[in-house]
Amino acid sequence: MEATSSLVQRFKQFARRGSGGSDHPRRTADERLPLPDAPPIDIAPDDPIIAYFQRASGAVDIDQISIDSPAIEHLRAAGVKLVVPLVSQGELIGMLNLGARLSEQEYSADDRRLLDSLASHAAPAVRVAQLVRQQQAEARERESIAQELRIAHLIQQTLLPKQLPDLPGWHISAYYQPARAVGGDFYDFIELPDGKIGLVVGDASSKGVPAALVMATTRTMLRASAQRLVEPGIVLERTNEVLCADIPRNMFVTCLYAVLDPTSGHIQYANAGHNLPYLRTASGVVEMRATGWPLGLMPGMTYEEKQIIVSPGDNVLLYSDGLVEAHDPQGDMFGSNRLTALMHDVASASTLIDRMLTHLTLFTGPDHEQEDDITLVALERSAAVWQHAPDTLGAGGEDADTMTPTSSRSPSGGDHRLLLEFSLPSVTGNERIAMERVAAAVGDLGIPSATVERIKTAVAETTMNAIEHGNDNREELPVSIRVVLSAGDLVICIVDQGGNEPIPEPTTPDLEAKLAGLQSPRGWGLFLIKSMVDEMRVAGDATHHAVELIFRLNENEGSGASVSG
Amino acid sequence: MSQGAVVATVRRVGAQTSVVDVDGSITAQSESELMNAFTLASSGTTRGVILNFSGLEYMNSTGIGLLVTLLVRANRQQQQMMAFGLNDHYRNIFELTRLNEAIHIYPDEASAVQASEAL
Repeated sequence: MEATSSLVQRFKQFARRGSGGSDHPRRTADERLPLPDAPPIDIAPDDPIIAYFQRASGAVDIDQISIDSPAIEHLRAAGVKLVVPLVSQGELIGMLNLGARLSEQEYSADDRRLLDSLASHAAPAVRVAQLVRQQQAEARERESIAQELRIAHLIQQTLLPKQLPDLPGWHISAYYQPARAVGGDFYDFIELPDGKIGLVVGDASSKGVPAALVMATTRTMLRASAQRLVEPGIVLERTNEVLCADIPRNMFVTCLYAVLDPTSGHIQYANAGHNLPYLRTASGVVEMRATGWPLGLMPGMTYEEKQIIVSPGDNVLLYSDGLVEAHDPQGDMFGSNRLTALMHDVASASTLIDRMLTHLTLFTGPDHEQEDDITLVALERSAAVWQHAPDTLGAGGEDADTMTPTSSRSPSGGDHRLLLEFSLPSVTGNERIAMERVAAAVGDLGIPSATVERIKTAVAETTMNAIEHGNDNREELPVSIRVVLSAGDLVICIVDQGGNEPIPEPTTPDLEAKLAGLQSPRGWGLFLIKSMVDEMRVAGDATHHAVELIFRLNENEGSGASVSG
Repeated sequence: MSQGAVVATVRRVGAQTSVVDVDGSITAQSESELMNAFTLASSGTTRGVILNFSGLEYMNSTGIGLLVTLLVRANRQQQQMMAFGLNDHYRNIFELTRLNEAIHIYPDEASAVQASEAL
């Protein structure tokens, strides 16, 4: 149809030219008698005259043509007497239309030879001119599309966060690079009540403009749901319901939605088929796994909710498949193993994204054409909470803000090695998880089994106090635990969020009074802790308790204790 | 068995003696199981209730409080509590808390039963 249409246009042009049309006024000497403009002549694509002219061997007298052709009637009506077909490579590309000679004589054989010769030279030149004009038109169209895409790119940029959240104690960084002018990836930060932040990373299927339109729709729907609803799984559920009604068939959106409480480090999240985020702690990198179907595929979906605590010094990475599914020149994928290995090596979120991108470039090679959109969002919780710990862990010292899982020097000058650092939600029973994790962390130190048992009981009791009393059994408040080997001492610091209530001094329970029913049978915890450790220190501020359990590994086995505040 | 759970099985081993086999953990979650077992063990002509700690996996300070509660009940019923099977760590805790002064610890079941039957 396009070729047909342009053919008609070309005939229009040549109809005007052949009759001395207004855009090419006749330049003969006879300017005193300008010919009237001939109207354009449309020749339908199925008009038999086209085939007739294509086969003609030279100039054709209109009056001698006997085929049934509407175009012939038009030509006759326009006063055309002679038509010289312009044929290039077997295709009729135009016609020279001539009216009657001014002398009113018939065209001679010489006239016809001259016209045939002219047509044979003009046809290729006209063809070239047509092609140039066609290319110019296509270039204008391409530029128009490019301009529209540039505008679409700018519009899409306005849908991405204009600035990163500024959260005390957190460092957040993000990277977004669509494979084309616009992309289907997106990320978002949504301010929620109580100082919480909604974190979103999504990926609309397909690429380019269709994906960008779906991305914009999803972002709007998810924002609307997140402002009204609290639970991440419910937010995704609602977004899926709304999106299913509007999204084109065979398109869908993968999306990770998490709610971060910056105060506690608690993250509650749900996942609609998106790449699993990673949490990096001092003891390793773990997947943040939660199940759910992509958005827009099917209504009635539910989304599993999970939660984690991000401890001071921990990193979280949210990303899209453009990173892990990038290929090297040999066709191998970047892969999640490479990603987790990089996370192992990088301590800071501020350098994590740069490191990922550097390795991605090295992996794909310099001539790589980006296959898919790439989105990265990295969070890091700073180690500020440990500033509340007593002196042994470097509070107020040079290591207070920069404690990392590597050897460093303590303020007292001894070796200072971080063995373990983690947090747990305040759930009854988690004290046993804390106990087992600490026991595993000190397992290679050659500590006598009796001391290990003392460590386990002290850690379990302190953690239980932190859960029940410090954090008031509020699951979203973390208990943070750090185990350090410092100048021959094993130092275990356990921090809760209950600094407004002082920890009482440990005293020796009065068993006789308890047995006589004069005192509660409970109240053994602090005494037990004090009895298990070589030294116990307590510190804190308005919002934190930090209890430090010290075991002097170089001294003889025993359970002597001292308490200082 | 879930973490924090305990199974307390009562055996009648003598005319005035019952043994409570403790299998699992003594924590807040084991309160009703332990109390029910003690009620069963201390019924009738019982004068001595023996706690078998061979299967004890974990006991925390709340668990110590539960044992004190059992002791209060035993004292009220003029019954004696005894124990055997404690590992070194929990034997140490019994000594630190002086529970060993109220719950006599024996090296094995036979000696504990013999002591109970002699009450």
